[in-house]
Amino acid sequence: MTEEQDRSSEKKVDGLILHELGQEVVVPAGTRIVTQGEAPEFFYIIDSGKVKVFRETADGIRTELTELGAGAYFGEVALVTGQPRTASVETVEESRLIKVSKAEFDHLLDHNPQLSRHIIHQLSQWLVHGDRRLESEVVHQVKLRQISWFDYALMIGLSIIMALVVNIYNDNKIPLIQDWGKGAVPEIALNQALEAYRNNQAIFVDARKSAFYNQEHIKGAMNLPMILFDLMYPLFRFTVEQTDVEKNKAVIVYGGSFSRRFDLELARSLKNKGMERVAVLSPYGGWSTTFPLEGQKPKEPASLPLGLPGYVEWLPVGIFALILIPPVIRSPSLSVACRLILGFIFISFALSKIMRPAVFALNVVDYGMMPAFGVNLWALVLPWAELVVGLFLILGIRTRAAATLIGAMNVIFIVGLVNAIFHHLPINCGCVGEVGEPVNWWKVTKNAGMLVMCVQIFLYDRFFVLDRGGFTLRERKI
Amino acid sequence: MKKDSLKWAAILGLLVFCLALGGCGESRSPFAGTYRSVEPFVGKSYIDLELKEDGKGTWTLEGKTVEFTWVVNDGRIWVYTKSGAIIIVTPGEGGKMLSADMTADWHPGCPPHACVTFRRVPEGG
Repeated sequence: MTEEQDRSSEKKVDGLILHELGQEVVVPAGTRIVTQGEAPEFFYIIDSGKVKVFRETADGIRTELTELGAGAYFGEVALVTGQPRTASVETVEESRLIKVSKAEFDHLLDHNPQLSRHIIHQLSQWLVHGDRRLESEVVHQVKLRQISWFDYALMIGLSIIMALVVNIYNDNKIPLIQDWGKGAVPEIALNQALEAYRNNQAIFVDARKSAFYNQEHIKGAMNLPMILFDLMYPLFRFTVEQTDVEKNKAVIVYGGSFSRRFDLELARSLKNKGMERVAVLSPYGGWSTTFPLEGQKPKEPASLPLGLPGYVEWLPVGIFALILIPPVIRSPSLSVACRLILGFIFISFALSKIMRPAVFALNVVDYGMMPAFGVNLWALVLPWAELVVGLFLILGIRTRAAATLIGAMNVIFIVGLVNAIFHHLPINCGCVGEVGEPVNWWKVTKNAGMLVMCVQIFLYDRFFVLDRGGFTLRERKI
Repeated sequence: MKKDSLKWAAILGLLVFCLALGGCGESRSPFAGTYRSVEPFVGKSYIDLELKEDGKGTWTLEGKTVEFTWVVNDGRIWVYTKSGAIIIVTPGEGGKMLSADMTADWHPGCPPHACVTFRRVPEGG
């Protein structure tokens, strides 16, 4: 009810001979005068003071409807309709009220057309106001469930900007694209290399990490891991000098990674060290089916304790049990728990990678699924995306969009993990940056659990969220 | 609008807190100093290893110096090269000896074929 309406009703009510009716009562602040759902007995007119009108659901969610001051009245709806009270009324401050019984109220209406018209007018106003309120709530609820491209652009854009800016000032910064603009390296075809191999006319150098080399390599090839080039080159040089080969023998470098990260870079580095006859094997992975091989069963990658994030990471596995309990899986409270768990996991994992992107870039290379131009960009941006999206989830900002992004990341992680398992890649997960976490089916299960959590958040998250419909402390039902 | 501002302030605060937390680690002091390989590398010359208190370090062999950064994690020294390799160095004899695992496999061990052992050089020595 607006102030104008209040004033208007005051005049009209004042115009009636109300003091001859009812009973005057003084009610202290905080007293409930009318309770929603009870049978109506009285009509009230406020002589002085202030009351608030509200509705309350069975589970305690309260919707404030209005506040009424001196001259206003309440309790007429239930008396007119004969239905139980539609709302509750409580005094905000000590109030003096005129309490009119149903019989007196009916008498008033019968003999006072002015009051009857006023009440009809008032009820009509409430209907119109109620319709508008309903529409606004529907719009709010619809907007709550909306996600837009802006949400994704916001999170991804923020991640890219942070990644690029921090990389500029990071002591461990990496180029956006490795070896961009560096000169081409001579390539040698498989059949030519095989002939040189058979005639012992070349030294074959495996540029991959030693774990890959140990697992399988061209028989007789040397291992000079590109990642340790600066430290290991003297050993390589010494070994070459000691081998019983002719001077100026050709050096054929090979790798096995889709990104060509190691073989091309090693060939360039060897040329820079003065080796003239250096070439890389082409195509990059062809050696494994063309040359005689040797190797040994890879040792199980050692795992280091993750600490608290390691324990928290097991929680998503529990979601599979909760799926079986429909009331729980649909609970917005579970969404909040999922948001906190996922947020914590992604933030802690991101922090382990952000400051040392070069380490994470090598993990990306290990999976053998990223082209050269994408390795460093992915290694720079992904940890920031994990951090930003994790923060959004915990703080309740654009949670549905954040959940879809984390879900997308989980799908990518699952594909990478399954690929690594099927190809027996001797790699660490790289999920927690520098910790040698093993790649196994448990890791896949954990990621699948996180994916289910994302779906749960997407469908049922309603509490403590700041979405397109504004901030929602608790879900309000219409 | 005020709630929005508070949210963004909370994000920035958490971000700074998280980054500060991520930067924390164990003290480097017990291991800072100069070390020399026990045996000449590939039978040629000794490797000089310098671990500075500020987390920077150098690996010098035959006059060629390679820079790196290092942290102490769970009692072991983690050496980070520019290329992204991690060499796990295990201290022994109360920090007088260091065993560097040159496989860069992040395994907390030191296989004999890829293990370089260093001894601390006494200050002024």
